[in-house]
Amino acid sequence: MNCRECKEHLYEYLDRELTPAVEQDIRQHLEDCPPCGEYFDFEKLFLDFLQARCRVQGASPELKRRIFNELFGE
Amino acid sequence: MTTPTPPTPAPSPAAEAEKRASFEREALVHLDSLYRVALRLTGNPAEADDLVQETMLKAYRAWHQFQQGTNAKGWLLTILRHAFINEYRRRTRHPETVDIDAIEPFSVFEEVQDDDPQGTFFDRIVDDEVLRAIDELPEQFKETVVLSDVEGLSYEEIARILEVPVGTVKSRLFRGRRLLQQKLYDYAVGMGYIKGSPK
Repeated sequence: MNCRECKEHLYEYLDRELTPAVEQDIRQHLEDCPPCGEYFDFEKLFLDFLQARCRVQGASPELKRRIFNELFGE
Repeated sequence: MTTPTPPTPAPSPAAEAEKRASFEREALVHLDSLYRVALRLTGNPAEADDLVQETMLKAYRAWHQFQQGTNAKGWLLTILRHAFINEYRRRTRHPETVDIDAIEPFSVFEEVQDDDPQGTFFDRIVDDEVLRAIDELPEQFKETVVLSDVEGLSYEEIARILEVPVGTVKSRLFRGRRLLQQKLYDYAVGMGYIKGSPK
C-alpha cells in the first residue's frame, strides 16, 4: 500500500469501517511511514476532541419529566 | 354492504405495563442522544425539547411497529429527523446552500504539522465554540457529522436514517469534517492560539 491509497481510507480506518484485511494493510503502512502515521494521529485526535466537546449536553430533568407525564400520565 | 368493524378492545393492563416496560428499557434510554441531535438540528433548546417530546410520543404510539431486538436508537432518530423536516425546518433558519465542490479537501494538518503536529491548539477551544462551528455547517454535513462524531453511529446506520447511499455518507462526512476542522483552525488562529493565517 502506498501513501495515497492509505490516505484515501483515512476516515474509514478511523471509523472502523474497513475489512480486517484492509485495516491490517493500513496499520502496517502507518508503522512503516511516520508522516502518514502523524497525519492519521492528528485526525484521530481531532475526532476524539469533537466527541468529547459535544457529548456534554443531554436532556434536562424537566424534559424527562414532561415526557413521562405525557406518555404515562405521571 | 359492509360489515361494521368491531371496536378495538382496550389493551389489558398487563399488556400496557409490558409495553411501558419495554419502551422505557429500549427507547427512553436514548433520550440524551435524541436531545443532542435535536439541539443541533433546531439550534434552539426550547425547540429541541419539543422535537424530542414529539418524537417520543410518536414512537410510543408506533411502538408495536418497532422490531424488538433491532436498533432502537436508529429507529428513534429516523422518527426525529422526519418530524424535524416536516414540522420544524420550515420555521427555522433556512439551511445555507453550499457549492460542495468549493470545499477544500485538504487537512488542517498540512498547515500545522511544523508548529503543532499534535493539534494541542484544539484543547484551548471551548465547547461552545465547537458547537457553534457545527451549527454553522450546511445541514446535510451537520446531520452526518453529528450522527457519526457525536453519536458514534456506523455508516450503515447513518445511511438508513438519512435515506442516502453509504457512499454519500462517506463523502459528506469527509467534507463536513474538513469544513469543521477548517472553521476551528481559523478560530484558533483568530484567537492567537496558533500562528497562521485564516483562509
